[in-house]
Amino acid sequence: MSTLKEILTRRPVAATIRLTVPAGGARPAPPVGPALGQYRLNLMAFCKDFNARTQKYKPDTPMSVTITAFKDNTFEFTVKSPSVTWYLKKAAGIESGSSRPGHLVATTLSVRHIYEIAKIKQSDPYCQYMSLESICKSIIGTASTMGIKVVKDLD
Amino acid sequence: MALRHFFKHLTILTSSYGFCTLSSRFIHPSLTTLFNNINPKTQPLIPTKFSLPLSHCYTSVSHPSTSTLLSPYLSVRIRCPKDIADVFSEALMCFGATSTTVDEDDNCDTSNEICIESIFPESEDVDVCISQAADSVGLKMIPSYEVKTGEHYDWIKKTQESFDPVEVTEGLWIVPEWKTPPDVKATNIILNPGLAFGTGEHPTTRLCLLLLQRLIKGGERFLDYGTGSGILAIAALKFGASFSVGIDIDPLAITSAHHNAALNDIGLENFQLRLVSSNTSSPSTDEHKDIQKQTSFEAVAESEHETYDVIVANILLNPLLELADDIVSHAMPGAGIGLSGILSEQVPCIIDRCSPLLDNISVSEIDDWACLSGTKKLTGN
Repeated sequence: MSTLKEILTRRPVAATIRLTVPAGGARPAPPVGPALGQYRLNLMAFCKDFNARTQKYKPDTPMSVTITAFKDNTFEFTVKSPSVTWYLKKAAGIESGSSRPGHLVATTLSVRHIYEIAKIKQSDPYCQYMSLESICKSIIGTASTMGIKVVKDLD
Repeated sequence: MALRHFFKHLTILTSSYGFCTLSSRFIHPSLTTLFNNINPKTQPLIPTKFSLPLSHCYTSVSHPSTSTLLSPYLSVRIRCPKDIADVFSEALMCFGATSTTVDEDDNCDTSNEICIESIFPESEDVDVCISQAADSVGLKMIPSYEVKTGEHYDWIKKTQESFDPVEVTEGLWIVPEWKTPPDVKATNIILNPGLAFGTGEHPTTRLCLLLLQRLIKGGERFLDYGTGSGILAIAALKFGASFSVGIDIDPLAITSAHHNAALNDIGLENFQLRLVSSNTSSPSTDEHKDIQKQTSFEAVAESEHETYDVIVANILLNPLLELADDIVSHAMPGAGIGLSGILSEQVPCIIDRCSPLLDNISVSEIDDWACLSGTKKLTGN
């Protein structure tokens, strides 16, 4: 975050754009096109850069990317891994969480799933200082707000 | 590995993101059958917990992907208090917006409010989404907003306005169609990239153009693998190649390349473009029946292995790894091959993959991007 501040003081920022783009699938079409085109950013350069940096993810996982557009039509962007809720939904194979979390259980997941998700999340910039155990705990917390129960072993 | 378990339960989640993934070269081949041609509007309702075998092609749409590419979108301007703008935009993304933009205002001291401009797919219910987002953030009342239907024409025009003539190297300029070349005596490539990649500004395009200058001495047959706007194929002809072929899996790229060839007065006798399917890398005529405007292109069955003197592929790491064998199979033994579109950190991976196929491997870099060049081994495949 401190480097972002340095950048902000260096060049005047025109806008901050948040997008969800599938990994390796950025194209000059909506959602990328209209959002970036408005600030005359080089769409193709962004698409190529983004696709190259997300090659290591499974294709089409939705990545959230934050783009800082500067007034001189240049830009910088950071890519975050998909949200925990997305991983949980994919692991459980459900479309959406339970409609009444806390009361109605949508599905169950085993501790192994949580562990795998935590390992992926550990490479996220803001999770790096947390121990794996605390990442797991926060994932379990998110799961319970979605109505997903976590058990030791799935039968 | 537990991640395989994720794959088995993969349901189609693209419907919730409201946009279409086009037949992109960057998608793993087995997934293209799944995500190709899926239009959220015609998609049937999916029961939850339905696990889908990957080879099952879900829906088929008769019109090509260009119509969904340019379908209208909703652009919403929302005014909200400045201190929660960040959190609110994240909430909007969770509830259905495809993008949110927060303007940095110069005169931000005058008012407490800030504008968020958000883009929604046409089918989305904007009221519901905004009220849900406001709820989750803790706003007491729904912020005021106005909805407009955005036309794609606007942003396309704006991005095209930002192209300027660019000098790749001494004596070689890439000039947009609507500008005049600054140096009339230099080699000028006139381009209108449209929606395809390759304007000449990107480091990988530059690396490939510099490589071409070194490799092409005159009279070679050149293959541009993943041609985009056709810039490399056209440049090869300008440097003196005798015959240039550009192939791509994106019909928009082929259209742009065709257009650019016409702009540079290049005729069909030494310049050809082929649309190939993304599943395999050799063109097949049956895939083309669905795509309407291909009558002017030749969908010739590719039987031309080992006929090119120079091949350049400027795509991405994963396609390069998969298609390496195919790329090299089109080259004559001893032919020069260039691979780009890779970050410097991805170079070792490519070198591993290609060292059994290529000799004299060398790497050149600009910024973070790299280009690998080598010659096809004289013995073996």
